[in-house]
Amino acid sequence: MNDVVLKLDKAQLTLSGNAGALDILRGISLEVTRGESLGLVGPSGSGKSSLLMIMGGLERATSGRVMALDHDLTAMDEDALARFRRGNMGIVFQSFHLIPTMTALENVAVPLELAGAADAFDRAAAELGAMGLGSRMNHYPAQLSGGEQQRVALARAAAPRPAILLADEPTGNLDGTTGAAIMDLLFDLRDRHGATLILVTHAPELAQRCDRIIRLADGRIDAEDRPHASKVAE
Amino acid sequence: MTLGTAARFARREMRGSRSGFVVFLLCLTLGVAAIAAVGTVRAAITRSIADQGAVLLGGDVQMSFTYRFASEDERAFMEKNAARISEIVDFRSMAVVGQGDAADRALTQVKAIDGAYPLTGQVILDPPMSLDEALAPQDGIPGAVADPVLADRLGLSLGDRFRLGVKEFRLSAHLMREPDSATAGFTLGPRTILRSADLAGSGLLEPGSLFDTRYRLLLPAGTDLSQLEAKAQGALADSGMRWQDSRNGAPGMQRFVDRMGSFLVLVGLAGLAVGGVGIGAAVRSYLDGKTETIAVLKSLGASSSTIFATYLLQIAVLAAAGILGGLILGGFAPILAGPLIAARLPIPVEIGLDLRTLAEATLYGALAAALFALWPLARTRDVKAAELFRDLGPNRRNWPGWRLGAILVALALALAGSAIILSGLQRLAFGTVGGIVGALALLALAAAALRFLARRFSHRARGRPALRLALSAIGGPRQEATSVVLSLGLGLSVLAAIGQIDANLRNAIAGDLPDIAPSFFFVDIQPDQIEGFRARLAGDPEVTRVEDAPMLRAVLTRINGEDARKVAGDHWVLRGDRGLTYSALPPPNTDIVAGKWWPKGYDGPPQMSFAREEAEEMGLKLGDVVTVNVLGRDIDATITSLREVTFETAGIGFVMAMDPAALQGAPHSWIATVYADPGAEAAILRDLSNIYPNITAIRVRDAIDRVSDALTAIARATAIAAGVTLLTGLVVLIGAAAAGERARVYEAAVLKTLGATRAMILGSFALRSALMGAAAGIVAVAFGAIAGWWVMVFVMQGSYRFEALSAFVIVTGGALMTLIAGLLFALRPLSARPASVLRARD
Repeated sequence: MNDVVLKLDKAQLTLSGNAGALDILRGISLEVTRGESLGLVGPSGSGKSSLLMIMGGLERATSGRVMALDHDLTAMDEDALARFRRGNMGIVFQSFHLIPTMTALENVAVPLELAGAADAFDRAAAELGAMGLGSRMNHYPAQLSGGEQQRVALARAAAPRPAILLADEPTGNLDGTTGAAIMDLLFDLRDRHGATLILVTHAPELAQRCDRIIRLADGRIDAEDRPHASKVAE
Repeated sequence: MTLGTAARFARREMRGSRSGFVVFLLCLTLGVAAIAAVGTVRAAITRSIADQGAVLLGGDVQMSFTYRFASEDERAFMEKNAARISEIVDFRSMAVVGQGDAADRALTQVKAIDGAYPLTGQVILDPPMSLDEALAPQDGIPGAVADPVLADRLGLSLGDRFRLGVKEFRLSAHLMREPDSATAGFTLGPRTILRSADLAGSGLLEPGSLFDTRYRLLLPAGTDLSQLEAKAQGALADSGMRWQDSRNGAPGMQRFVDRMGSFLVLVGLAGLAVGGVGIGAAVRSYLDGKTETIAVLKSLGASSSTIFATYLLQIAVLAAAGILGGLILGGFAPILAGPLIAARLPIPVEIGLDLRTLAEATLYGALAAALFALWPLARTRDVKAAELFRDLGPNRRNWPGWRLGAILVALALALAGSAIILSGLQRLAFGTVGGIVGALALLALAAAALRFLARRFSHRARGRPALRLALSAIGGPRQEATSVVLSLGLGLSVLAAIGQIDANLRNAIAGDLPDIAPSFFFVDIQPDQIEGFRARLAGDPEVTRVEDAPMLRAVLTRINGEDARKVAGDHWVLRGDRGLTYSALPPPNTDIVAGKWWPKGYDGPPQMSFAREEAEEMGLKLGDVVTVNVLGRDIDATITSLREVTFETAGIGFVMAMDPAALQGAPHSWIATVYADPGAEAAILRDLSNIYPNITAIRVRDAIDRVSDALTAIARATAIAAGVTLLTGLVVLIGAAAAGERARVYEAAVLKTLGATRAMILGSFALRSALMGAAAGIVAVAFGAIAGWWVMVFVMQGSYRFEALSAFVIVTGGALMTLIAGLLFALRPLSARPASVLRARD
């Protein structure tokens, strides 16, 4: 299967600050296929999260092209990008980024509502139930533990059944056991719904669970690896 | 822990936090400034009245009589005790320009003076000239000076002639300032001044005419005023003489200024309460931002009391700065605006700093700051070092603890007690303090209800993301809704109450009254003119009703032989002289509720019919003997009946009516009320004035306009004070919106990530603001309606009608203000890029 869902062509990201222009990404070109899981690794400041943001349309590439599901993200304005993300992309952050004024259920329902789903709350409840949070639906984020908050964030990302799941160090703020449980859930989601998963992580053992690993250094692709392919070869 | 440690921490903490204190400072400064400014002006007027008592009064002493000149005895008393005397006659009349059908008429308040006037102060004329010069005859026509308003109304230029009664006068100058105008009280017509001697042959001041005489006395130096007053009251007892002296030269004005000033201070207090909400919110927001610092300090070994002292010291320094700012603004702004303010006052006033006022404003400011800041400050003790690892904010308890709770209650009582004691208007202050507490409680309830409803209905709003997001934000754990509803709601409540009361008063005066009130009052109809007067109106199809009655003025001096004031206290019937009528038969529609009207042709000992309500208030009953002084003569009359009398309809309503035999011999005139089609009013006035030039007609509509003008001035002063309250509310609102900006930036970023467009986010923010503003407005209207009803029914003893327009303006205004404040701070959240916002938080 060679069904490309994400394609970057010489994507460049330069940020200008007081200290002058800073090149974050220096011409990244890559393709991600449907159902694939891709791990982005590399030292701090190598551009992993920026690359993820560009893939999600949260950051705009300074030059080059970013195609997602045959849409040119670089040609869209902010609102068009927002509309595109509905139902197509789910994003999980290291700091969960739940809306503090909403309960867990309401948080999960938001993207479904935005996508116009009539059964937004039923689906949100089912998703939370599947995450083992059936009894915590009406709690506000501040009333939940870090692991619970990340499970809510996962449910929120997965609820619209997006074609692409982006996760930015989803276990970075969690202990090892909780982090492992979250990763199980994430990969389980990918397996159940056939979504493409792109995962930024510092942890080599998590990256090893992905179909492909791209190592970034100084804004460039430094190396690419297919751990499972090599295992098969062995 | 030492206080020194806390002070060092406090100083370090304050270094980088200045911008967070703007709302705190503004709230306190505005509240203190409003109170200080009102107090400064009030103190200046009071000082001026005290310092210039003799000038304001027109002499050291004024002795006044109703419908008569001083008797020989009275004159002799004055001459014996005074160094100089001036006699003034004051009455209403019609100034007429032109002849017959083309004549133009206007009501004027005439002051007829002698050569000694003014004993003190100076009359200012335009063009500048002396009063002697202005009143001197030219070509045999005596001079007169008049208020420019009267000249304008009649189209009179300087040198033009006009008539009073049947006598011609020449307008020689415009009257710009009378030194004794503050004692004149409320008058229906603009002033004309002329010589008493020139009234001869005018047909005015006939026996029974309505006029007052005032004798101003300049006393020899060193005269003891209280001794002289006692002497006068003894020598001229029961003569109906009214005494006033320079110890309080303008008691009416002093009373008005005191009441108005105190009322405005109370409105200012409401402003301080609004500011208090802002202070509370600002302290809470500041301390929320300091949670990490507090947690770090605790993890390093700082005790709760060190932390509490650290932040208490900061708040104390800030409060001192805010109060100082308020004192400077409130103390100096009236001084800078002095010429403007003085120009609007009837007496010369020099505005300066008043220490008592500033001390009062400081006390209110300090108590309010402590009351509203201590509660959120108490929460610093609950911050745990564990906050460094996990956000425990929403789980922090809200209850300040028993000890602090008791301190807060004591502070609230001290603030309320100070207002009640210092304002001098105990009842009103009590009502205002109760009103503020009630409004705050109502608003807190409303905020809780709004949050509850928002939570409930956010489920129902499924499928409408903008609305649901707005409802979730209102109902969620952040306290923005409470802060907005409280601060804006209290400001709007004050405005709504003023709006409801003002609109009801205006309706009662301008809207309802003309429907039931007559077109004209005619006064000074001589007994030999009343038949002709009736005949002119009887044949007029445009005239729907005419009521007339003989009228004398009387002072009720004794009840059953005792001083009336000792028996009935300071009842309004006993203040000055009152109308008194006589009638052989009960007037039509008279409702006698007790006793019997005297028989036809009765000529026994004098009998009186008294108004039922006033009799009850004064403790009078059938069989009581009241002594009334009529034109210097005492008449003892037995109360033989009680009647229902309605004053609200502006018809003829006399508290006291007597049998004809008792009064017919006394010189008197008649008054009449005429109900006519508005289109026929001009013709009626023209005809009657042509036939009877001495008669004075008071157009009810003009009188209503004058009352409305006075009301407008009061409403304006109140609205300015309430405006400060609302301005404070707006500052609090902007503070709340600014404090919430960071949260909104974050919220917008997450929502964009989940697929929300900017329009949807903006719509949600706008809905959220408008809903909170509308809730504040609705509570304000409910409060305004309750306050309006209370004032109209219990204070004004009238009826209350809900004023929908005023209410609509308040609700819409509330929603709009919150919307604007909210949208001002929506721009950054909308324009922020989600990636930069979210990554900054990671």
